[in-house]
Amino acid sequence: MNLRESVGIALGAVRANKLRSFLTLLGTIIGVASVIAVVSFVEGLNRFVSDKLIQAGSNTFSVDKFGFITSDEAYQDAMKRPDVTIEDADALRAGVRHASLVIAQSSTRENVRWKTERANGVDIRGRSPGYEITEDLKITDGRHLTELDDQRRRAVCVIGPEVSEELFHGLGAVDREIRLGEQTFQVVGVTEAKGKLLGQTQDRFIAIPIRSFVKYKRERGSIEIAVKSVDQASLPVAEQEARNIMRGRRHLAPGKPDTFAITTSDTWLSFYNNLTGGIYVVTIGVAAISLLVGGIVIMNIMLVSVTERTREIGIRKALGARRRDILTQFLTESTTLSLSGGILGIALGVGIALLVGALSPLPAAVSFPAVGLGILMSCMIGIFFGSYPAWRAARLDPIEALRYE
Amino acid sequence: MLIEIRDMHRTYQVGEEEVRALNGVDLDIEKNEYVAIMGPSGSGKSTLMNILGCLDTPSSGSYRLKGNEIATMGDDELARIRNQEIGFVFQTFNLLPRADALHNVELPLVYAGMKHEERRKRAREALTLVGLADRMKHRPNELSGGQRQRVAIARALVNHPSIILADEPTGNLDSTTGEEIMASFESIWRQGNTVIVVTHEPDIAQHAQRVVRMRDGKIESDTMNATRVTAVRS
Repeated sequence: MNLRESVGIALGAVRANKLRSFLTLLGTIIGVASVIAVVSFVEGLNRFVSDKLIQAGSNTFSVDKFGFITSDEAYQDAMKRPDVTIEDADALRAGVRHASLVIAQSSTRENVRWKTERANGVDIRGRSPGYEITEDLKITDGRHLTELDDQRRRAVCVIGPEVSEELFHGLGAVDREIRLGEQTFQVVGVTEAKGKLLGQTQDRFIAIPIRSFVKYKRERGSIEIAVKSVDQASLPVAEQEARNIMRGRRHLAPGKPDTFAITTSDTWLSFYNNLTGGIYVVTIGVAAISLLVGGIVIMNIMLVSVTERTREIGIRKALGARRRDILTQFLTESTTLSLSGGILGIALGVGIALLVGALSPLPAAVSFPAVGLGILMSCMIGIFFGSYPAWRAARLDPIEALRYE
Repeated sequence: MLIEIRDMHRTYQVGEEEVRALNGVDLDIEKNEYVAIMGPSGSGKSTLMNILGCLDTPSSGSYRLKGNEIATMGDDELARIRNQEIGFVFQTFNLLPRADALHNVELPLVYAGMKHEERRKRAREALTLVGLADRMKHRPNELSGGQRQRVAIARALVNHPSIILADEPTGNLDSTTGEEIMASFESIWRQGNTVIVVTHEPDIAQHAQRVVRMRDGKIESDTMNATRVTAVRS
């Protein structure tokens, strides 16, 4: 008996019991769908991360007070550290020889006004000149912030296109004066739109010189220093230089821990990999359980099917079916069954991924290896959990089977 | 000789008890004989039929079919013999309910490994032969009892077996339809086939050329039927 024949019989059996087949397959459908959906999300995130974050900051690191905090205890300890200041940034700019750029930066949120127009909760960024390189900002109108703006603590700002639109409605922003709390700032430039990143707009900000920022806030606070090394290879050297300078400024004896944190994109990357690794482990767990349950349900329904069709098996044997013909028939049937579940699961998983991708900021990319894996997995479940029922069917005694009512 | 059975025994273990279903049977059947095997229930006729049909093997003794010893064959060989040499007709028809008449008739050819087109052609011929050319696409539940049994006969004939083995073929049919079925066997036999009918009904047995009576696992009598009645379609 050839495969086409077996698949025909199998599809006939599946079709004859549509509802039962569907219910049987729920476990497999959910298992495969969850794998496909989660893998699609993680793939989407991966693509996003490699496209944007890594590319942008592959040879930069940052120095700040907290660094990468993952527990409350670490946070409490870090609170006791001295603040990172503009003077630290100046020292790094002067001392880190493998740095091409050192940017002092700090942020807050504030409501902004121009005449009667308001923009609430705008991202206010204090930045050293050169920030446009690390943040990849281009000017469409006016100019960037300059060294002189910073040194003189000028009340000038560069605004994102969304802020410009909200306050001035396309009337032209440069030279207008906007109010941040008590202070008046003159707009000197508008940046090019960058669009959204993970659902967050990147165009609703106001950048002012970092020294103006500190002056305007009337308290020093801790800032962050972004250091860009001259190239990828010199990143570790630049990092070591920065560490030495910071330790020197804080008079830390050898052997004492740093009282500041240096974070590279590697830190983020390893955190990200841990996170997605965790997601994968959880998914594999969930999928494994639903597939196990799905497989057992398939085995159960195949046992029922073998019992129901005992007479059919007897007839087939009387007409010359060998054990292996019956075995093949029932294995093909269980595999067809689980494969239909796999295909439905893939469709559902892809559907979920696309739907969530369309409705939420989470990116989703359909992963073809995952689809292949889904198909392979469902086939293997069919074969594995179909083996015992098929074996039972194959070794039925033809006389007993024919007599079965 | 088509069938040679020598000193055949078949015992079953039923709980503690050993049941001797066949207790020393000798039987020869030539090609193109028309034999009725008769006997009350428990006489061993069903066991004999199962062994003749290669669904079962004897506990001891010899069964030669076309000179080949069947008694010692394994599962796959028995399946092959059933497929090539035996055409079964059952009391309860035993058609696959979800398959149409054509597919039911095709089934032995599927297991013979025949190509699809050839299979179709042979199955159509067999169905035409039993007068069901216009019912090929009907499922068993769309056919009358007599038509179902004719589908079963077409299925038994389709692979040109050496023996047509019928087990109470009219048991589930009214007497008129039963007579029609017996007329089918008559014509099959006249075309040169060997027909063995297992029955407990004398009306059915009277159509056979030779009557073998069984009792207590042995052959009680084996006589040529002097008063043979030709079955005719009414």
